Amino acid sequence: MLIVQDLSIERLDKKIFENISLSLVPGNITILKGKNGSGKTTLLKAILNIIEPSFGSIYWKGKLLQKNLYDFYNHVTYIGDSTSSLKKLTLRDNINIWKKFFISNVNDAQIEIALKTLRLDNYLNKKVGTLSFGETKKLEFLRLIMENKKVWILDEPLSNLDEDSIELMKQTFEDHCGKEGSIIFSSHQNPGIYVTEEINL
Amino acid sequence: MNFLNKIIFFYYREYKLNMSGIQDILTNIIFFFISIFIFIFSIGSDKETISLIGVGILWTLLLLSSTLSLRKFYQDDFENGNLLIIHLNGFSFGFISILKTFSHFLFVQVPFLLSIPIACILLNISNDKLFYLFASFSIGSLILSCLGSISSSMNLMNQRNFLLGSVIVMIFSVPVIIFSVGIINMEESFNSLINILFGILLIVFAINPWASGLCLKLSLENN
Amino acid sequence: MKFLVNPSKFNEMADYLFRPLLILSIILFAIGLLFSFYLSPDDYQQGSTVRIMYVHVPSAWLALLTYTIMTLYSILALAFRIPFGFIFNTAVAPIGAVFTLICIISGSLWGKPMWGTWWVWDARLTSVAILFIIYLIIIFMNLSFENRIVREKVIAIFILVGSVNLPIVKFSVDWWNTLHQPATISKLSKPSIDPSMMAPLIIMTFAFIMIGVAIAILRIKTEIISRKSYLS
Repeated sequence: MLIVQDLSIERLDKKIFENISLSLVPGNITILKGKNGSGKTTLLKAILNIIEPSFGSIYWKGKLLQKNLYDFYNHVTYIGDSTSSLKKLTLRDNINIWKKFFISNVNDAQIEIALKTLRLDNYLNKKVGTLSFGETKKLEFLRLIMENKKVWILDEPLSNLDEDSIELMKQTFEDHCGKEGSIIFSSHQNPGIYVTEEINL
Repeated sequence: MNFLNKIIFFYYREYKLNMSGIQDILTNIIFFFISIFIFIFSIGSDKETISLIGVGILWTLLLLSSTLSLRKFYQDDFENGNLLIIHLNGFSFGFISILKTFSHFLFVQVPFLLSIPIACILLNISNDKLFYLFASFSIGSLILSCLGSISSSMNLMNQRNFLLGSVIVMIFSVPVIIFSVGIINMEESFNSLINILFGILLIVFAINPWASGLCLKLSLENN
Repeated sequence: MKFLVNPSKFNEMADYLFRPLLILSIILFAIGLLFSFYLSPDDYQQGSTVRIMYVHVPSAWLALLTYTIMTLYSILALAFRIPFGFIFNTAVAPIGAVFTLICIISGSLWGKPMWGTWWVWDARLTSVAILFIIYLIIIFMNLSFENRIVREKVIAIFILVGSVNLPIVKFSVDWWNTLHQPATISKLSKPSIDPSMMAPLIIMTFAFIMIGVAIAILRIKTEIISRKSYLS
């Protein structure tokens, strides 16, 4: 579905990376590995068409990404390094806003189950700003589940998580792959998750 | 239909956000009234003088206090990544800036609009001028929102010197001030002046999505 | 004409041009100042103060011209992705600011004996003051952004947005009834100025242009060197 061909990116006369190729088919997990500052986030942003690549091209469903952008955005969820939940609002408000804004077809019972497994169900009426960092990170995964899209693009999803949550993540990833979904995620450590493709930056 | 729903829930989100931070908006209003008090104390409470320069003071303070909240225009959404998420849900950056401009108008400028009658009593402005004041401020504040969108999107990556954003808004709002104060003081040329204001609004409205969209894209690219 | 958009070609051209320009501008300044102080007649109304014109008018023209060229380069840089436009904007903005400042100061020196006040709030003076503040904002923006790519493009966008002020400055004397006199020299009609005053004015204008271009060349070269590796 998603094919990245010979991608190179230069910023401010500095080469960040050169000739990266990867392809993403349904049921595929790709990991981007590299040190800090090796351009993992830049590559993910280039895939999202936020950053323009200097050379190379990206294809989505056989067409150039720029020509097929709207369709691509309908199938992709991005989790960045910052937590996107609104700190001033309660967890319930956040969930409501996401549910309506993403026009999610996930029903309330499923959200309830997801909250239970993420162990967030006690905090429903608390403001997100009072939660700990790890918990807001888990909230991002709730968004992932609620958006219910095919392609997941995750930037450092496993940092700041305890081992239980990482175990949970593995489970979620496998479920998603079973449902014809595909995942790209970046990580600077070895997560111990089964991956089909590994790219070193 | 999906798209329309998304727009509606964008505003639902903005509403929730602004209501949770309603003290910010109220602080703006309080700033506005306190500055009126200070103005009156500094020029003396002579009724004639106050009603003579009242309109000018009112407009100046409206401008100053609406630039106070500019910092929040895009900053929060930019820093927690919501801007990117909204973009990934099918809104172009230019369109986001239009939506945000209207949201700023609704949640920051309209409270000022509602507090104008009280300010008029304090500044001894006669009732028959109230209509002109409303007409000019409802157009002028939309212009200010557009300018605010442009300047705050320019200053997203400028962490050092945010006052620059307010300066940019104020320098471009000079014609707005000239014409809208002119409306109130020269009632016989109301039609022509309101048309000029409307023209400025259309120009700014056309520039806004281009300029702020470009700046938003730039800032996200280089963040 | 490639040296107008290509940094390395510009460098070659600048090496040829800089010395002659500097010498020419010094000669022109000498002749122009001689003319304007000793050889041109007094005005029958304004007396000797009319000589301020020989500084005031050229600097005003150049302030506008500089901004116009910056606008053109911003369009080139944003639409056609020519990085030289960004270099030009960063380098030239202070020169424009100085011209505007000279124009404002000499204008108010002229205004004191003629109008009886240093400053009046008429359309021309206000719009020129706004032009000066726009120049200052450009310079401050240059200083306060960390990231260069963002900085350059944001400044270019700001220059484009700020260019709405240009026609206001130019036509303010025609659109509003101002204290400031309307333009005496225009392309379309015969100038309403005596040749004996016209000559030093033209010479001074060229002298200002030459010195402006010479300083611009120096500043652009410094700017190019400071980001050499980026452009190679």
